[in-house]
Amino acid sequence: MFENEPVSDFPNITKIIFKSISKKFLKIILLNVSFLFCIILIGLILVDYFNLFEEFGDYFNLSYGTFIVVFSLVILLNFLAFKKRKYAIREKDISYKSGIFFKKLTTVPFSRVQHIEIDEKPISRLFGLASLSIYTAGDSSDDLVIKGVTKEIALQIKEYISTKINE
Amino acid sequence: MSNSFNFSSFSRQSSKGVLVIYINIIYNVIKFTWFLLFLIIKDFSKVSARIGVNYIYLGLVLILLFLLVRSYLIYKNFQFKIEDEHFILKQGILKKTNTAIPFHRIQNINFKQNIVQQLIGVFEVSIETAGSSKTEIGIKALSFAKATALKEIISKSSKFEKELITDTESKPFVKIRFSELFKVSLTENHLQNLFLFLALVIGFFQQINQVIDGFGEVLSLDGFIAENKNIVSGGILFVFILLILLILIAFLSSFVRVFIVHFNLTASLKEDAFEINQGLFTKKSIVLKKQKVQNITISTNPLKRLIGISFITFKQAVSGKLNQKKDKLIRIVGCKASQVEIVKKSLFDTTELENKEKKFSENYYKRRIFIITFLILFILYAIAYQIINYVIVFYSMIIVFPVVVFLILKKVKKRYYKISDSMLLVGRGLLETHLTYLEIFKVQNIKMKQNIFQEGSDVADLILQTASGKIKIPCICFEDAIKIYNHTLYKVETSKKSWM
Repeated sequence: MFENEPVSDFPNITKIIFKSISKKFLKIILLNVSFLFCIILIGLILVDYFNLFEEFGDYFNLSYGTFIVVFSLVILLNFLAFKKRKYAIREKDISYKSGIFFKKLTTVPFSRVQHIEIDEKPISRLFGLASLSIYTAGDSSDDLVIKGVTKEIALQIKEYISTKINE
Repeated sequence: MSNSFNFSSFSRQSSKGVLVIYINIIYNVIKFTWFLLFLIIKDFSKVSARIGVNYIYLGLVLILLFLLVRSYLIYKNFQFKIEDEHFILKQGILKKTNTAIPFHRIQNINFKQNIVQQLIGVFEVSIETAGSSKTEIGIKALSFAKATALKEIISKSSKFEKELITDTESKPFVKIRFSELFKVSLTENHLQNLFLFLALVIGFFQQINQVIDGFGEVLSLDGFIAENKNIVSGGILFVFILLILLILIAFLSSFVRVFIVHFNLTASLKEDAFEINQGLFTKKSIVLKKQKVQNITISTNPLKRLIGISFITFKQAVSGKLNQKKDKLIRIVGCKASQVEIVKKSLFDTTELENKEKKFSENYYKRRIFIITFLILFILYAIAYQIINYVIVFYSMIIVFPVVVFLILKKVKKRYYKISDSMLLVGRGLLETHLTYLEIFKVQNIKMKQNIFQEGSDVADLILQTASGKIKIPCICFEDAIKIYNHTLYKVETSKKSWM
């Protein structure tokens, strides 16, 4: 006889084990941040050198202090946030989570995937990394993007999802 | 009735199409140069004295001739055919474009008639897809017979299933008469319409100002503004008159808007689609496939509830920037409760949903809105005090605070959701009430957000992305959020039905 018992236990999103992204991506993040702060530092030094804000005078050294504090804070935050960037692939969907203060978890079922993109930015390519974007229908600005996986894995995931879609 | 028309080789539009295209081009030219034209006409004697009347007329004739040739070429180069389950379109005078749309990607085929098309008796057929906006095709002029034949072919051969046109006789379940439309516009959100209107006027004045600036004639307008300022200080009477004027404008703009868009609205129910006809100048006939409806929203406001009407907004799949496609929102205004029921019943089974209890957002939500609103109020008052420098400013708090508190409480009370096995209902609104119905399997992807404060209060935001936009359920108990998350994924992943 046909039986169709109600499912009491849905596959649980909190039970899956998330994988970290490639460690090399941390280097890229730190590089980017350092680059940005280098520019700010150069600006600061120029301002100091040409004495653009005379009225501040001696207090100007304070700005270097603030700079160092902000810089180390940003580095620290990026470091911590990096550890939170994780993804997981199940049989029928892919999930990505990130954020320390603003946690975010996104899941895209394979059956709703419209297309998949693999991007390699110049710096990332030096490290052999890529970012994987998965698009669904509708407002496509806000879909799932996994940055900083090795190109190999990105291709594997893409292949896996493609076969799943065609099933 | 068909098919005396053969679409297998390339064919053009009805030859009347030249006229439609011509008038359309002229309209566009006037739209872009109206201010220049206005200036020329205003100082016609001066301009003509300098250039000579004959040259002006000659120029005008030349321009009109050029446009005529252009529209003829557009017409000549616009060819379409049907091949291999694809709609193929060739167009372009110098830059040739070839478009092919597979039938199964076609979402809607709509008939439209603007006033010119009504006069010469042709239909504009637009073929909508859910793809990028570029693939939207408008065939400007087809005879009714040819238009229906085209629609029939595309509908039949695609998995559009049973024909829609065959049972055109079915009786409309919504028919909005003049008096009902009057009621609808009377109960519109006048404030919103007023703002829309004012934005239009301000934009208009800015445009004039810019051009006048360019001509170095700022004087007149500045004088006008200065005069107005004098009157403002002149007395309460003026403010009073201005207020009445604004109210009048608000009402009028509501009326005009509603009547132009929804004139003669009829909606009828077919086996697997709705057919909606409406419009005053531009008659629109929309066939909406039930299967392609992503979600519906039933909205009402206190005034409308008083006379027992609400409006239904259908959302279809869109892509790219959502706000660019406002016209993809299909709306039936002035529905009575029974008609709303018909629409709901025909789309999905809500009985299970009705029996579920409402679940509200957690207290955190209320707290957050209160804190943010009062912070903003505080800043506004600080600024106002800086500018006006009288303590009197703070007296207004007696009115402002209770109103704000009342509104926030309303908003919080209207934020709830109900979930059954297959359906989700999300309520929201401030003065208006919006109820959004969504079949869970139509979700595209799902997000859960939680900031550090929410984590402390053990709540989370859920964002369900559908093909027609996001549906948010803010600040619900974390445990419930996880449950809905899992349930939604389960539903999406086990569903075999197509979401579009």
